[in-house]
Amino acid sequence: MGFLDNTTQTIDAILTKKGRELLARGNNEFKITKFALGDDEIDYGLYDVSHPDGTNSYGAAIENMPLLEAIPDENQIMRYKLVTLPKNTVKLPVIKLASSALTFTTANEQQIISPATTNGNDGKGGYTFILHNSNAADLFVSAGGGVEQRGGTVPVFLSDADRKRSTTVIGKVVNIVSKATTSAITTQLTIFGNDSGASQTISVTVSANS
Amino acid sequence: MAEIYTVFNTEEDIITDINQTISSGLWSGGVGTLQTMHTSSTQSGSSGKYFYDVYKTNPSSDSEAEVQFSMAFGHLDGSGSAGILGTSYTDRPSAAVYSQFRNLLLAPNDTKFTFSPSKDIKHIYAISMARARMREKVDPGNWELHLSSSAGTVKLIDDSGATTDPTVSQGGRVFNVVSGSIASGTAVTNTAAASETTDGAYGLFYPDMGIMILNGQKLDQGYLALATNTASNAAHNNTGKLYNSVSASSYFVARREEQLSTTHYFCRLTNKKYNFSTNPTFFTQSDGSLTVSSMQNDPKVYMTTVGLYNDSNELLAVAKLSKPLLKSFSREAIVKVKLDF
Repeated sequence: MGFLDNTTQTIDAILTKKGRELLARGNNEFKITKFALGDDEIDYGLYDVSHPDGTNSYGAAIENMPLLEAIPDENQIMRYKLVTLPKNTVKLPVIKLASSALTFTTANEQQIISPATTNGNDGKGGYTFILHNSNAADLFVSAGGGVEQRGGTVPVFLSDADRKRSTTVIGKVVNIVSKATTSAITTQLTIFGNDSGASQTISVTVSANS
Repeated sequence: MAEIYTVFNTEEDIITDINQTISSGLWSGGVGTLQTMHTSSTQSGSSGKYFYDVYKTNPSSDSEAEVQFSMAFGHLDGSGSAGILGTSYTDRPSAAVYSQFRNLLLAPNDTKFTFSPSKDIKHIYAISMARARMREKVDPGNWELHLSSSAGTVKLIDDSGATTDPTVSQGGRVFNVVSGSIASGTAVTNTAAASETTDGAYGLFYPDMGIMILNGQKLDQGYLALATNTASNAAHNNTGKLYNSVSASSYFVARREEQLSTTHYFCRLTNKKYNFSTNPTFFTQSDGSLTVSSMQNDPKVYMTTVGLYNDSNELLAVAKLSKPLLKSFSREAIVKVKLDF
């Protein structure tokens, strides 16, 4: 008779840049209250349902792969989160938008972004809207488009230069207003569902208008 | 409704303030024994009149050579080094060194280092551990330094093992440096500091500062006979004499010590939780259907990362598993995340 494995996996955590910042600031601001799980690095295309050794080996290629160490940039890790959904879920939450691209030809032109989450619900936490280049436009939460609960660090994979130029708002509905520019700007708008974890990215183009 | 975050039950899931003492070898690479020692001709040619940096590897041939410790000679009146008060050359490096360590380690108005039992000494040798090597403090009771001459070797340790209530001075805890050895696993003292009535004990050891102050007068006696030159207004390279004695012995064993405060977070993944993924390879972006059709009604995901968040959903700490961990409706797991401060 063998012994059952009753061990708990123990792993060492590192502070993110945000964590170090809050710890250094003091004032009891560093307070961990919840956790989330991620499956960064996993490509489910490696799940091989034709594996000759049968069902237990379908995920062998994934289970045997070594993983990289944690990195301290909270914007570059926990890219893809695991979510809890009912067992009978056959489709994951997807953010739907009226348009897959936004185009502005004049300055101060407004368009309303009103995402909808299919197969899920972001009614409480709303959405995090990240415009990668704020030289192109401003983002404002539309009247009545606020949320009960604000989101925090949502990973969006921008370069340092882009991050300095990006602008982020949280709400259910936002107004995007183009800025005056002497040359055309093409950038992207990424939208995260704060409850569902779904995300969607669309392109934003502002033509030269001044 | 989809859930991404699980709130910790602070009573059951978080264990805070687990304090532990971590010790490791003091020298580069966590090595405990330093057997080869080098100085840098570049450093000794510039600031060498004040101190010598001691390396584990030769800095002239190893560009990544790291300083292990520094040594210096100090004299209350500036003897043994060039410079005279009231003249155009008043550097007096040995006086500067003596004053520097006196200010750092002794109480205000205490002008001389006093070695047990009660010997005031005007000339000292200082050994200061590199900050990057000692990190928080040197582990008292776990170092041994050999000084050699052609006549023999003196083995030095501290008397922390025999001290239940160490003196706490301006420089933190202080122990006597005595002749003895820790090679057997426990400290064996040859002569207690209190019995060194003629010249005083070998030195003073400040573990919290990573500094040893050695009694110059004591080192000049016996078969070590360092022969410190205390003639005034001339550089006599006394630091070099100590370096030669230390490097000839090729033996300096020491450990460092750090206090860690650890918090454990228990992430309990029950069977119904975290069985789907927002990973773009897990589902089709257009309609949300699963890319692996056999996972319908029996999804399987592989967790690689645990993120710890605050109430504002800001990611404060992150931990990675060594290999992906399968999670499904038929599997549960507990992951203990350890966070050291």
